[in-house]
Amino acid sequence: MSRDVRAEAARVVAALLEAQGSLARLLPKAEDKVEERDRPLLRELCYGCARTAPRLQLIAAKLLRKTPSDSLVSALILLGLYQLEYTRIPDHAAISATVNAARSLKLDRATGLINGVLRNALRESEHLQRKLSGNPQFSSVHPAWLQQAIKAAWPTQASEIFRANNTNPPMTLRVNSARISREDYLQQLDETGLSAEACALSPVGITLLEAVPVGILPGFAEGLVSVQDESAQLAAQLLAPREGERVLDACAAPGGKSCHLLEQQPSIELSALDIEEERLDRVQENLERCGLSAQLICADAAAADAWWDGQQYDRILLDAPCSATGVIRRNPDIKLLRRAEDIAELAKLQAEILRATWALLKPGGSLLYATCSVLPAENSEVVAAFIAEIKDASDNTPELLHGKSWGEKQVAGMQLLPHNGGGDGFYYALLNKAE
Amino acid sequence: MAKLEILEFPDPRLREIAKPVAKVTDAHRQLLEDMFETMYAAPGIGLAATQVNVHERIVVVDISEDNSEPLAFINPEIEVLEEEIHQYDEGCLSVPGFYETVERPRKVRIKALDRNGEPFAIEAEGLLAVCIQHEVDHLDGKLFVDYISPLKRNRIRSKLEKSQRRRA
Repeated sequence: MSRDVRAEAARVVAALLEAQGSLARLLPKAEDKVEERDRPLLRELCYGCARTAPRLQLIAAKLLRKTPSDSLVSALILLGLYQLEYTRIPDHAAISATVNAARSLKLDRATGLINGVLRNALRESEHLQRKLSGNPQFSSVHPAWLQQAIKAAWPTQASEIFRANNTNPPMTLRVNSARISREDYLQQLDETGLSAEACALSPVGITLLEAVPVGILPGFAEGLVSVQDESAQLAAQLLAPREGERVLDACAAPGGKSCHLLEQQPSIELSALDIEEERLDRVQENLERCGLSAQLICADAAAADAWWDGQQYDRILLDAPCSATGVIRRNPDIKLLRRAEDIAELAKLQAEILRATWALLKPGGSLLYATCSVLPAENSEVVAAFIAEIKDASDNTPELLHGKSWGEKQVAGMQLLPHNGGGDGFYYALLNKAE
Repeated sequence: MAKLEILEFPDPRLREIAKPVAKVTDAHRQLLEDMFETMYAAPGIGLAATQVNVHERIVVVDISEDNSEPLAFINPEIEVLEEEIHQYDEGCLSVPGFYETVERPRKVRIKALDRNGEPFAIEAEGLLAVCIQHEVDHLDGKLFVDYISPLKRNRIRSKLEKSQRRRA
């Protein structure tokens, strides 16, 4: 007999509800447990359920007298609602398969509840939609705290940000300019039968019209191209290291920006740091695939005593740990995993790392502070407070890139929002250290 | 250890009736190892010898999340303990990608020989009862699709034949 795919999806969603891990970590393990044929459905159920959870949770709350004590039961209800609201799976099949998954999870006692809630949802669907349509969590499909934070930060653009966060992201490539020109690679894609176009802001970026497995991209295994969002590709251009400079990538994993820096300026002496050994392995894999090398250090960037050789860097890239609220369309589980109180915690951590890495920078050098967050509390507010406090720091973020305007000018740095132009939500501030 | 090929519906060899094992030998123990390896790799939670084209009454099962509860049954016999019916959407490694609701008794006792040829008995309910009954059906040449309407069965048959032709 084979294993029930919805039962595995329920385990993943329940783990998300309990904040026990991210989809990126949980899904591969779950995929190993079901047959290959069932994997696309498993993925669709987990990603779809996470993406729509804020809305489904409101529907579930209307239909339940109290929240189920077992998170697996909550997960099954969300999965059932997801199938009813968002998939073409016939309603009766969605309900019976979800009840079945409950049985295979030894939740026989909950089958009546799950069946009842899903049947009521079906019967009262229109009525519920009408009743909830005025609720901003429902209409934005974002948890209430995040909906409010985005609305407060971007009052006129919030609805477009919500919409972008709820769509599928484009697949974007970075051409290794040391090996092949973008025009030549576009030609190769065309010959392979893949439709693509050049990105507007990144001179080495290509957006594919349809996502494909990396295996069919010409020269992927040999490092001709990497998968990287366009906004993330701007880091290397903004930092723009010169020949032979000493460069630090302070939070390097998974290594996309490290590779890009080396492709753009092969003669730099790059140290790639990350706090997690396992994630540093990914940096190594990416460097090897691209035929590049860097000094890899497993350490906390903020605790320089433990690893630093005392020689200051010409350039530092600080891609700080953040809420990832700019990449929700790629990681919809952010909607379930993040809490309002995380933001202040993260801002504190970001300010700490920024202060600690600043000491490693040469006078006259520059540091690029980056996050994939759209919340000013983690971005312009962190940087503005830093500049006000640290006398030798100044904001030198360009307002034009290759003569083109990009992003939204902030009190310090520039913000890219996910709906503008196609890249992810990203924040960049280029800081100069006085001589 | 070796991974074995799993026969796919509508292969006529899935219809053969398996013979009882007269004496449990090293060859059977090797077969059990291979069947576990095949089942875990598929991945699945139950496998009958019939599915790997060996027509002897041998079944392996493991319904745990982490492959930690391997169960082997040689010459299994099922006794129904509760007539109450349990519905479950079954899937099968020999009918990949399809799930259909099957009704079976909720609680059963299984008598069988273990890998050393020693007799034992266990009681099973829920998913374990479903799985063991599903696997013992294989030994009698029976598939879960035999319990569903001929219309649905034929649709599954033609879809699988199509994908088998594509692979061939």
